[in-house]
Amino acid sequence: MRSGIAERLAEIVGERHVLSRPSELLVYNSDGLPGYRRQPRLAVFPGTREETIAVVRLLADEGLPFVPRGAGTGLSGGALADDIVVIGLHRLKKILSLDVENRRATVEPGVVNLRLNKHVAPHGLLYAPDPSSEAACTIGGNVAENAGGPHCLKYGVTLNHVLAMTVVLPSGELVELGSKVGERDGYDLRGAFIGSEGCFGLALDITVKLMTKPQAVRTLLADFTSVDQAAHVTSAIIASGIVPAALEFMDGPTIRVVEDSIYAAGYPRDAEAILLIELDGLEAGVSADLEAVRRICLDGGARNVKVARDDAERMKLWQGRKKAFGAMGRLAPHLIVQDAVIPRTRLPDILATIRAIGEKYGVVVCNVFHAGDGNLHPNIAYSADDPAESERVHKAMTEIMQACIDAGGSITGEHGVGLDKMGYMESIFSESSLNAMCELRAVFDPERRSNPGKVVPVHACKEWHAVPGGRLRMDT
Amino acid sequence: MPGCALPGTPLADALPGINACVHCGFCLQACPTYLNLEDENDSPRGRIFLMRSLLEGTVKPDDPSVQQHIDQCLGCRACEPVCPSGVPYGQLLEATRATLREYAPVPFVARAILFVFAREWLLRPAMFFSRILAATPIPTLLSGMSGRLGFAMAMLASTGRSIERSRYQPVMRGERGNVATLRGCVMDGLFTATNGATRRVLAVNGYAIVAAPGQSCCGALHAHAGDLETARSLARRNIAAFDRSGAEFIAVNAAGCGAIMKEYGHLLKDDPEWRERAASTSARVKDVSELLAAAGPREGGPLPIRVTYDAPCHLQHAQRVTQAPLSVLAAIPGLELVPLHDSDQCCGSAGIYNLIEPETSDAVLAPKLANIRATGAAWVATGNPGCLMQIGAGLIRAEIPARAIHPVDLLDASYAAFGQ
Repeated sequence: MRSGIAERLAEIVGERHVLSRPSELLVYNSDGLPGYRRQPRLAVFPGTREETIAVVRLLADEGLPFVPRGAGTGLSGGALADDIVVIGLHRLKKILSLDVENRRATVEPGVVNLRLNKHVAPHGLLYAPDPSSEAACTIGGNVAENAGGPHCLKYGVTLNHVLAMTVVLPSGELVELGSKVGERDGYDLRGAFIGSEGCFGLALDITVKLMTKPQAVRTLLADFTSVDQAAHVTSAIIASGIVPAALEFMDGPTIRVVEDSIYAAGYPRDAEAILLIELDGLEAGVSADLEAVRRICLDGGARNVKVARDDAERMKLWQGRKKAFGAMGRLAPHLIVQDAVIPRTRLPDILATIRAIGEKYGVVVCNVFHAGDGNLHPNIAYSADDPAESERVHKAMTEIMQACIDAGGSITGEHGVGLDKMGYMESIFSESSLNAMCELRAVFDPERRSNPGKVVPVHACKEWHAVPGGRLRMDT
Repeated sequence: MPGCALPGTPLADALPGINACVHCGFCLQACPTYLNLEDENDSPRGRIFLMRSLLEGTVKPDDPSVQQHIDQCLGCRACEPVCPSGVPYGQLLEATRATLREYAPVPFVARAILFVFAREWLLRPAMFFSRILAATPIPTLLSGMSGRLGFAMAMLASTGRSIERSRYQPVMRGERGNVATLRGCVMDGLFTATNGATRRVLAVNGYAIVAAPGQSCCGALHAHAGDLETARSLARRNIAAFDRSGAEFIAVNAAGCGAIMKEYGHLLKDDPEWRERAASTSARVKDVSELLAAAGPREGGPLPIRVTYDAPCHLQHAQRVTQAPLSVLAAIPGLELVPLHDSDQCCGSAGIYNLIEPETSDAVLAPKLANIRATGAAWVATGNPGCLMQIGAGLIRAEIPARAIHPVDLLDASYAAFGQ
């Protein structure tokens, strides 16, 4: 590290907001998937837009690479900084404006998803993308990962809800992407930036679309004595033409771990699978859909179909689902969670395959996922202190991912590629596709200083061969 | 864990609790120090990571920055009720502080306070002196001074601002059983009237009050500071005293004391002689509001005042008692209860934290005062002496025309108005 960088960053953001001691940087060595750890060299937390720009420009002048970080709730190791600078954006947490009439809000990147929703709720509005980590994750992080969530089945992912952004490119240049008032002419660079996993720069402000709360909402809990039945019912609901606001699947082991937690939702502990189905819209239509969905569930073998009586019960059912991942710590000290997408019609046989793989390696796979869009999240809780168990777990996960790819699926639905899934990129993209990604990146970050070494495998980019050692490091 | 760096320490014993953390980050937004200091080292997830790192040996127990982040925790435990994996954060914090004590002495002020609280012969005279001082105009005169002395004076001044009420003598029917009350240290010293009110309102609601002589400090402050040995010896004294009383319930009107007393079973889990008695004592401990709520409580006379309720962390998060205090207030006709925004957030009192870490404490208190001001309430009800004085002092210094009061005092005033 060039001497004095920490001091110069401290001049911009204040001494308290620059960390350089290794013991203080430890907690920034992982995100929500702590199986991956990379120790940053420095962490800097700008408190204003101006400070953020100044930090990025200083790093640009020095040619130093950096990693933007929101709340560190990501599940792909995307926000890890390997011996470089972390720019934490969590202090930029102001809601800059709320335009109720035009239903949009402009926020800083560190605003927590749920805080935005609480802020707009009194106006009868909501921000639709609702990742399960909504209580902690930031809108900036949601943009970086193009985050989804249960309600993206009907309403679409982050991409569909962001109108415009002011972005500071890694060079320090400011650009406006998208438009607050509708489509701009030219290429959709806003669309390219959303989901770029911090590799294209930092969003300084984000203008999001808000929706009016639906007139009617009904939440159903259907429970099954077999995983297979629940999987077939999922396909049957989608095939019926009804588009639920959300259609979530939890298997027996997941149900039981949630029921042991403070978020116990009243899911039947003896069920082998439940579906949590939400229908919303106009009262008349919702009532008709509710009856149709109930019928499909019962015909498909559901033991019970329960409809939440009020908002409190609805919230409880949802909290159990959304906190399921966090509750896995009850099973074992370490957790691996995956994110894959498969064609919905393949759900029954993929779930059977996953079960068989789990049995082959002697591991328990917990499945909790967005069934409606075929977005799987197999979780395995294990102890990393047992090398033999670790190896079995990782082999099982690799096999599960391969099965999803073989079924015509994809390696990530919403968690991003980050570090975790880079190894799969070449199995789903051709060399020319990967090169195209590298070229697109070069438009935003020709020096590849923003979140280096993520998403696209280094050797897949032709130009990367020119960099000695294959990755950028700060001078030591 | 292979190769534990701190074998045989309280922290090493706490490993299963640390292992329950999956790093999901759902605790971050519940943590007052994270929200104010904006560094993950000052969040539950970050501190648990530091604890794990201490055991792994990747940070050393004599590292001053590690100690600082552990010290800066309020111990409010707001992270516990949001944790899906049920990490017992309060216990982890105490185990960590107990382990780090060997490497860094507790600050002098804290040591002095803990020393006095553990010794009746020092505590009672100290409290007597504080009470005399509180009765003079001195605290009020000095309450505007900048710095900790001014704040401490404002805390004292706030204790003399309870609600006026006439005296009444409840009829003791006792159909709900025998209750012994915890005398407490600060409650006994500075909130004598609240202790009296506690006995009266329990009697009105059908509890027979029995004496439990030989009590001591509950040990909460010592446990929070990592002095588990002193906490255990104080716990044993209290267990013996309450066992002798033969009471079915132990009523506690200080949330912080109630929280630790409900955990005596955990505190003494490795003591074969006391383990079971401790667990049985813990099972009998109830916050006074829980006992009152179980009895209704009986409705009192009208009290036409505007009140807001602030939940003490050790009642809401540690004891998970949320509705009972509200039902106490609901038993008072004419009382207008105005909801307090973020009432589940810590006020920054945290035992003696406000005297040891004044800057963070003030930062945490500021939004609380702003929210109270917005309610327009004349009274802030909260059931813990630390919170009463912290909020009370903040109100005086910010010149907000409201006073902090224990819910039991309001119920007592309501019964007095009824001429019970």
